[in-house]
Amino acid sequence: MIEARDVSVDIAGKPIVTGVDFHARPGEIAAIVGPNGSGKTTFLKALSGELAYTGRVALNGRDLRAMKPVETAVQRAVLPQATTLSFPFTVREVVKLGLVGGRSGVLPGEDARLPERALARVDLDGFGGRFYQELSGGEQQRVQLARVLCQVWAPVLDGKPRYLFLDEPVSSLDIKHQLIIMSIARDFARRGGGVVAILHDLNLTAMYADRIFVMHRGRLAATGSPQDVLSDDLIEKVFDCRLRVGVLPAGNMPFVLPQSAA
Amino acid sequence: MVDQSIAGPVEASASEGDRSGRARIVILLLCLGLAAAVFLSLTSGASDASAVNVIGDWLFGTVPDNAALGARDSLIVYDIRLPRIILGMLVGAALAVSGAVMQGLFRNPLADPGLIGVSAGSSLGAVAVIVLGATILAPVTALLGTLALPLAAFCGGLATTLVLYQVATRRGQTSVATMLLAGIALAALAMALTGILIFMADDRQLRDLTFWQLGSLGGATWAKIASVGPIIVLALAAMPFLARGLNALALGEATAGHLGIPVQRLKYTAIIGVSAAVGASVAVSGGIGFVGIVVPHLLRLAIGPDNRYLLPASALLGASLLLLADAVARTIVAPAELPIGIVTAIAGAPFFLWILLRKRGVIDL
Repeated sequence: MIEARDVSVDIAGKPIVTGVDFHARPGEIAAIVGPNGSGKTTFLKALSGELAYTGRVALNGRDLRAMKPVETAVQRAVLPQATTLSFPFTVREVVKLGLVGGRSGVLPGEDARLPERALARVDLDGFGGRFYQELSGGEQQRVQLARVLCQVWAPVLDGKPRYLFLDEPVSSLDIKHQLIIMSIARDFARRGGGVVAILHDLNLTAMYADRIFVMHRGRLAATGSPQDVLSDDLIEKVFDCRLRVGVLPAGNMPFVLPQSAA
Repeated sequence: MVDQSIAGPVEASASEGDRSGRARIVILLLCLGLAAAVFLSLTSGASDASAVNVIGDWLFGTVPDNAALGARDSLIVYDIRLPRIILGMLVGAALAVSGAVMQGLFRNPLADPGLIGVSAGSSLGAVAVIVLGATILAPVTALLGTLALPLAAFCGGLATTLVLYQVATRRGQTSVATMLLAGIALAALAMALTGILIFMADDRQLRDLTFWQLGSLGGATWAKIASVGPIIVLALAAMPFLARGLNALALGEATAGHLGIPVQRLKYTAIIGVSAAVGASVAVSGGIGFVGIVVPHLLRLAIGPDNRYLLPASALLGASLLLLADAVARTIVAPAELPIGIVTAIAGAPFFLWILLRKRGVIDL
C-alpha cells in the first residue's frame, strides 16, 4: 500500500501541489487525471522520491524519506513521460538497465532472458538489436515500459506488493498499443501488484482504473470509483469544458471507444 | 555479472542487441595490442640498445657476448625505456578512462578533461607547487615531499570539475553548450593564473615548466612512478565500480535514481576519481590532450556504450595509443624528441572535428 498524507511540493517558491491525500492499494490501478499543469507529474515525482515534498509518504508502511534508492528500487519502478538517451544503446541494452539496481524477482538464471520476455510483452519482439535512438516516439515509450517491467517483473516479492508508477504511459501510442499497455497494467495489479498511472484519456481511465484521483490546480478535486467521479459537473469544473458523460453523438457521426475492444 | 556466467556464450549470442560477447573479444584483442605496443616501445628508441638481448638475459639468463655493452643496454632498457613505458601506460589509461567517466557523468560524448579545463586546473596546481614550492608553499612541500606535486594537481583538477559541474548542470540535465563554454572560461582563467606564475618563475623553474605547455613523458623515472603510480592505480581501480551507475545515468539522473543508483554518491565518486587520475597524470606528463575523447569514442563504435566494458577497454586502448604516440615522439626527429602532446593533438584535433561534424545535429549549440 502506498499512502500519501497532506503532500505539498513547491518549485522555485511556487506551490505546485498542495495538501494532496492519496493511496494506492495492491491489486488496483489508481489513475491520476486532470488538466495540463494541474500538478499530476509533480505529485508523482514526489511519490517516487524525485522531488522534495512536505507531508508524509509511506511505501508499504515505510517512510519514503528513510528509504535508500536501492530499497525503493525494489518496491516500485517508474516510467517517465519521455526519456532521452545520451549514448547509442541498443534496445536490449536499455531494457537490461532495468535490472541494474532492483530485483526482478525471477530466478537468477532467468534474468538473462528477461529483456526478451519484457520486449515481447510490450509487442516489440525482435527489436532487441535495433538502436533506441532510431525508434519512433511510441516505440521508445514501449521500450522504456519493458525496462520498467524488468525492474519489478514479479508483482509480489518477499510477500510484499510492488508498484508501477506510470506517467502518461499511453499518450504517444496507437490505439492497439494503448490497450496492450493498459492490459499489462491491469494484469500486474491482478497478480498482486499496484499501479499508479497518470492518464489523459477519460475513456481508458473509466475502463481500467479502480480508483480515480482528479487533480485541479495542484489540489485533489475528487476521488472515488470511475462511476462516482466521472460526472458532467466535475468535468466542467476541472477541465473547463462542457462535456456530457455517456451521450452518443447525434446522427451518423462515427465514434470509437476503447470499451468496444473484443 | 552472475547471470552472464550462467547463461554462457551460446545464450548471449542468441540475444539480439547484446554486445557483451563482442566486447569481451575486443578487450582480449586490446590486451594483445597493448603487449605489442609495450614490445615495440621497449625495442625502439634513439639509442641502438638491444632490448631483445636484455629481455633474453632477463628471461633465460643468456649473457650477451660483450658484457660492457650488455650493461649499457640493460641501463637503457631498465632505467630509461621501462619507466617511460610504465608511465606512458599509466597516463594513457588514466586519461582515457577519465574521459569515458566524464562523458558518462555529463551524459555527453564531448566531455574530455583536456577540452573542458580540468587539465588546465591541474596544471595550475602543479605549476604553483613548482614555482612557489621554495617560497610561499615551502611548508606544504616540506610536509608532503614528492606527493605535493600530484596532490596540488589533483586539487586544481577537482576544483575545476566541481565548478564546471555546478555551472553546467541544472536539475539533473547537463547542457552541452554551457559545459563546453564554461570549460573554455575555466581553462582560460587557469591558464592566465598559470601565466602569472610562469612570469614569476626563475630560469631553472622555466625549464621545468616548459614541458607542461606541451606534455611529455621525457622525464619518466622510477621515483616519479612511485609518487603518482599509486594514485592513478587507485583511481583506475575504483572506476569499474562506477560502471553500472554510469550506464543507468545515461537514462537521466532521475531515472538512474529510480533504478536504485545512489546518484549523488556516484557523481562525487566519479568527480574525485577523475580529478585524482587527471591530476596525477598532469603532474608527471603535463597536458596531453585528446586521449580522453578519441579512445572512448572509437570504442563506443566498436563495442557500444556499456561502461562495464568501455572502461577497461579504454584503459587498454589509452595505454596502447599513448605508447605508440610516444614511440613516434621519440623517433620521428631522433636524436631529439617531440613533446608527445604535439603528437596527440595533431592526431586528436582533426578527430575531434570529425566527431563534431558527425554529431552536429545532436549537439545543437
